[in-house]
Amino acid sequence: MSVLRPRTLSARYARTAYLFLLPAILFFAAFFYLPIGNVVSTSLMTGPQADRFTGLGNYAQALADPSVRHSFLVTVAFAVAVVAGSIVLGLALALALDRPLRGRVAFRMMLLVPYLTSVAIVGLLWRNILDPELGVLNRSLSAVGLPEQQWLNTHPLLTIAAITLWQSAGYTMVLFLAGLQGIPETFHEAAKIDGADGWHRFWRITLPLLAPTTLFVSVMAVISGLQAFGQAYIITNGGPGDATDLSVFHIFNVAFRARDFGYASAQSVLLLVVIVAFTLIQLRAGRRGEVQY
Amino acid sequence: MSPHLSRRDLLRLASAAATVPLLSACAGAPPAPGAEPGTFTVYWNAGHDYQAYRKVIAEFEQANKVTVTFQKYQWPDLRTRLLADFASGVVPDVVEEPGGWVQEFALSGNARSLQEYVDRDGAAMGFPADWQAVTVERNSYQGQVYGVQLHLTCTLLFYNKGMLDAAGVQPPTTWEELLEAARKLTKDDVYGIALNQDHTYANPWLLQAGVRHYDPGTKEVLTPRDKAVEAMRFQADLVHRHKVAPVPVSGTDYSGPQKLFSAGRAAMIITGPWDLGPIKETSPDIELGLAAPLKKDGQATNAAGTSLLVPAKAARPDLSWDFIKRITALEVERAATEEVGMLMPRVSWAELPEVGNDPLIKPFADALGYAQDSSQEIRLTGQSGRFDEELKKMYQSVVIQNRPAEEAIEALAETAKGFLK
Repeated sequence: MSVLRPRTLSARYARTAYLFLLPAILFFAAFFYLPIGNVVSTSLMTGPQADRFTGLGNYAQALADPSVRHSFLVTVAFAVAVVAGSIVLGLALALALDRPLRGRVAFRMMLLVPYLTSVAIVGLLWRNILDPELGVLNRSLSAVGLPEQQWLNTHPLLTIAAITLWQSAGYTMVLFLAGLQGIPETFHEAAKIDGADGWHRFWRITLPLLAPTTLFVSVMAVISGLQAFGQAYIITNGGPGDATDLSVFHIFNVAFRARDFGYASAQSVLLLVVIVAFTLIQLRAGRRGEVQY
Repeated sequence: MSPHLSRRDLLRLASAAATVPLLSACAGAPPAPGAEPGTFTVYWNAGHDYQAYRKVIAEFEQANKVTVTFQKYQWPDLRTRLLADFASGVVPDVVEEPGGWVQEFALSGNARSLQEYVDRDGAAMGFPADWQAVTVERNSYQGQVYGVQLHLTCTLLFYNKGMLDAAGVQPPTTWEELLEAARKLTKDDVYGIALNQDHTYANPWLLQAGVRHYDPGTKEVLTPRDKAVEAMRFQADLVHRHKVAPVPVSGTDYSGPQKLFSAGRAAMIITGPWDLGPIKETSPDIELGLAAPLKKDGQATNAAGTSLLVPAKAARPDLSWDFIKRITALEVERAATEEVGMLMPRVSWAELPEVGNDPLIKPFADALGYAQDSSQEIRLTGQSGRFDEELKKMYQSVVIQNRPAEEAIEALAETAKGFLK
């Protein structure tokens, strides 16, 4: 039996590292890569039992299907709203709570609570608040003489995006707070001595140095925006009509209502490709924009 | 032996570890809960857990020396779970379904034919002779029985007697009378009528206009088309033109109209027996009246309600059948009606004195005699799931978003052509 010892120290470190990684690799293989492989193979099948081979037929059908295209556009619009809102709202809250305010820890906790709450509870809560006839919001609006609203009917996509933002704002705030606290105070002091006002310091120091955080927030928001499901499932059921037919919700319906697992799998694979592509583009663009002082 | 791992040892270790999940994946699914000795798995709707059924389950357990695992779900979750079970081969022993799945799963080979049991025990239990004809038809496929109806429901017009009396309005019997009544009843914070966001509530209107979901002869959907347009436009007009109904809000909850009715914000709603309990509980002061289904080209209402099926891979179909026989017995139907007011499919149930004497059950029992199943033909195409999705989009775009009915129905028909070839 040959005794094989890594010849170099780095090789020995590498071997040890791989051994430590092995459980995680096995876990991911069993619960992520094998199911993904299964989805890819199912995407080549058709029929209610997904037992007839159809090759790339499901992919061709998905690319030509207006309802798939519609749900993708709805999802992109939702993701754009969530990404833009996450960055603006998260940063604004972080800037506000980065100051020495009384009770800022309590404020931070309050803002984080919705993120810790399940999307099902958040969805039901807002559905009740926004109910046009019996909801608290319209009762309050009419009590102060303002016109009642039908936001879930008139702007359903924007409404569920706003609810998503309400839920996730605390999390992005925490990320931006960590980023803000990583910016050395000396940069701001130097800029003050040079006569820069608060606005200039924000644009020239804070924002550029927050680029890695902004990149992380935007990548995570795009991924979660493109994968959003609970909002459509709990709050609007994809409606009215197909106004909030987000991609994952659409795929879920194809699989579990229309019973076409092959077609649903093909759409899942296409969505995965889109998410990976978006992420890579964002990472490339984001890294190019990073600055060092 | 060297304490150090050789490259070969490392490879062996890694290969062995890598094969663990692979082998476990290939090893097949764990045994079905229902297949475990001594247990019997039933999937049930969360809202149908009645004491009358609990009693039957206890008797079944004692008689068969098994423990019943009674798993309760909302319908969408039950369907998701069941389809996953079909894929894995791990199936329950008996499933309650919301109407329509029996034929769908018979068609796909996932439901078991119960014909041999019906041939053996049918006469003794009164099946199919004692079941309303529509319930036998909707649970059969290619001449074989695949399911047994558990509940048979339909929708009627619920009205607030106090509000109608105050406005000097008689319960409407036609669409025109309904509009007239709704106009008189709409004032301040009260709507004359409230429509549901759930598209299945369009079925009575479509049936009253003589519309079928699908005509297998012509392969047309929502036919005759002009009548379908008229029915959809009438509902949209109640909301947007006459403003006698609030705009429904899309969601998974179909209790919106009942909540408005209970809150005294709607004078009339069209719904089924499932809303009797919530109205009584939340608003005992409301004097509830029930009117017969409306008339347009004909008087009609939709037959709905749940059935029981046995998955094709169920391990002990004899036990499953015994469970079905026990839980559909007339005395159990009587007990469930007494407990919660649920409506039942047996002809002899409709003739029970307690049914005939109950002012809140008799109108339903009368209507069940001519209730129709509007979606049977589409189910037999195997495309009912996709059609249902498209019907939902059409209904909501017309009734909620006020899209012209002609345009929305035309769009549905175009899409349906793609999957009903």
